[in-house]
Amino acid sequence: MEIYGSLNAIGYGLSAIGGAIGVGLVFAAYINGVARQPEAQRVLQPIAFLGLALTEALAILGLVFAFIWGRV
Amino acid sequence: MIYAALSAAEGKVNPLVPNVWEIALTLVTFLVLLYIVNKFVVPAFEKTYEERSAAIEGGIAKAEAAQAEANAALDEYKQQLLDARTEANRIREEARAEGSKILADLKEKAAAESARITEQAHVQIEAERQAAVVSLRGEVGTLATQLASRIVGEALDDDARSARVVDRFLSDLENEQSAGATN
Amino acid sequence: MIALALPAAPEEGGFKAPGLEDMHLPEILPWGADYGSGFGKQMLLVIISVILISWFFMAASRRRQIVPGKFQFLGEMSYNFVRNSVGKDIIGEKDFKPYVPLLMCLFFFILVNNLFGVVPIFQMPTTSHVGTAYALAGIVYVYWIYLGLKKHGIGYLKLAVVPSGVPKAILPLIIIIEIISNFFVRPLTHSLRLFATMLSGHLIVMLGAAGTSYMILEGGAFLKGLGVLTFIGGVGMGLFEVLIMALQAYVFVLLTAIYIQGSLVEEH
Repeated sequence: MEIYGSLNAIGYGLSAIGGAIGVGLVFAAYINGVARQPEAQRVLQPIAFLGLALTEALAILGLVFAFIWGRV
Repeated sequence: MIYAALSAAEGKVNPLVPNVWEIALTLVTFLVLLYIVNKFVVPAFEKTYEERSAAIEGGIAKAEAAQAEANAALDEYKQQLLDARTEANRIREEARAEGSKILADLKEKAAAESARITEQAHVQIEAERQAAVVSLRGEVGTLATQLASRIVGEALDDDARSARVVDRFLSDLENEQSAGATN
Repeated sequence: MIALALPAAPEEGGFKAPGLEDMHLPEILPWGADYGSGFGKQMLLVIISVILISWFFMAASRRRQIVPGKFQFLGEMSYNFVRNSVGKDIIGEKDFKPYVPLLMCLFFFILVNNLFGVVPIFQMPTTSHVGTAYALAGIVYVYWIYLGLKKHGIGYLKLAVVPSGVPKAILPLIIIIEIISNFFVRPLTHSLRLFATMLSGHLIVMLGAAGTSYMILEGGAFLKGLGVLTFIGGVGMGLFEVLIMALQAYVFVLLTAIYIQGSLVEEH
């Protein structure tokens, strides 16, 4: 059996798992917080998106490396 | 360096390698857009906001003034209504007083009139009675004379007789009278 | 390299999935190619987007009325969205006003350029070319560093990388992480988040379209039936793409606001 394609795609897929879980956690906590204290939404929103940015950074780094470290 | 390396190595498009001209073009166009927005759009919108809030505040002040005016007018109107009511009461009282006075006057006048009429009637009756008395007195004389002559003409010794005479006289008198009345 | 797309076997003459090459259309003005690259569709779209946005807002704000008409109301609503829910809420009521133009330009530039991906004829999200994303994120990067330096002086560099209330023992580690995170990863992710979502979203829609056309035109009866499914899926992904486009514009401008706010506050 022959498989075509790039290993980079697999690598990127693996790296995206962590980011996906992290983003899910961040927004789960955010939704929880807003559900408990709706008036805190304005305070929580920037924090949540900052958390999203930091967490997603890892997945995006995975994308970068998938492209930079080319096919061997 | 990376650009060259990647391009040479792959010979294909690497999506992470930017096109310098795209960067330059985006920078230039974005700064142009920023300039336009900064210069014209945002000040215009902010000015609209200020105008709007000023207009709303002005509108509120105007509404308050109108409200006060309406209240004043209402008060004035109520005052006028009260005045009018008092006036009406006063006039009614006056009219009532006047009416009762007029009624009393009329009653008084009527009483006076009736008294006068009664007085007049008394006087008239008195006068008529006097006249009757006078005429009676004259007639009674003649009648008495006639009667006496008749009585003297007859015998006056018997009571029955005299009574008969008187009766006859009276019936004669009556006959005369009734004859006079029929004639 | 056909990453992010379905692997295919071109030598068999079968289905050829659309790849990154299809994102770079032939240049309109080929004579510019000598200088690295010519004037492509993407550049034309960038210029068109700027013209569109400035026309819209100029027209919406030109005849100002206290009670807005429909057109002015639309403009004001868009402006209000960026001004209040991004600028005012995040940078703070006190000093958000100077940054509203930048936030507004970023939001509408990215939104329009993203939405070009679903507009017929244009049919390409401009931000799926990495140059545009780099340029925008670069502007933001330079701007927030400049703001921090202007407000705190050179001490801002210390402020940006030394968090307060961290034990001395692990401070060096934290500082290194903060430097990498703030000054290297931040602009990179800021630009690539936008670029990658646009690129992959557009590739998925392209894949749906290409697969549908291949299956319906060249496949048998079974494949034709499947082609209908891929068509529906492609349309669904296209609609989903619209949501992602708007969301990415929002996230980009929200992060910009957060970065600006971060360089304005006294303590990190």
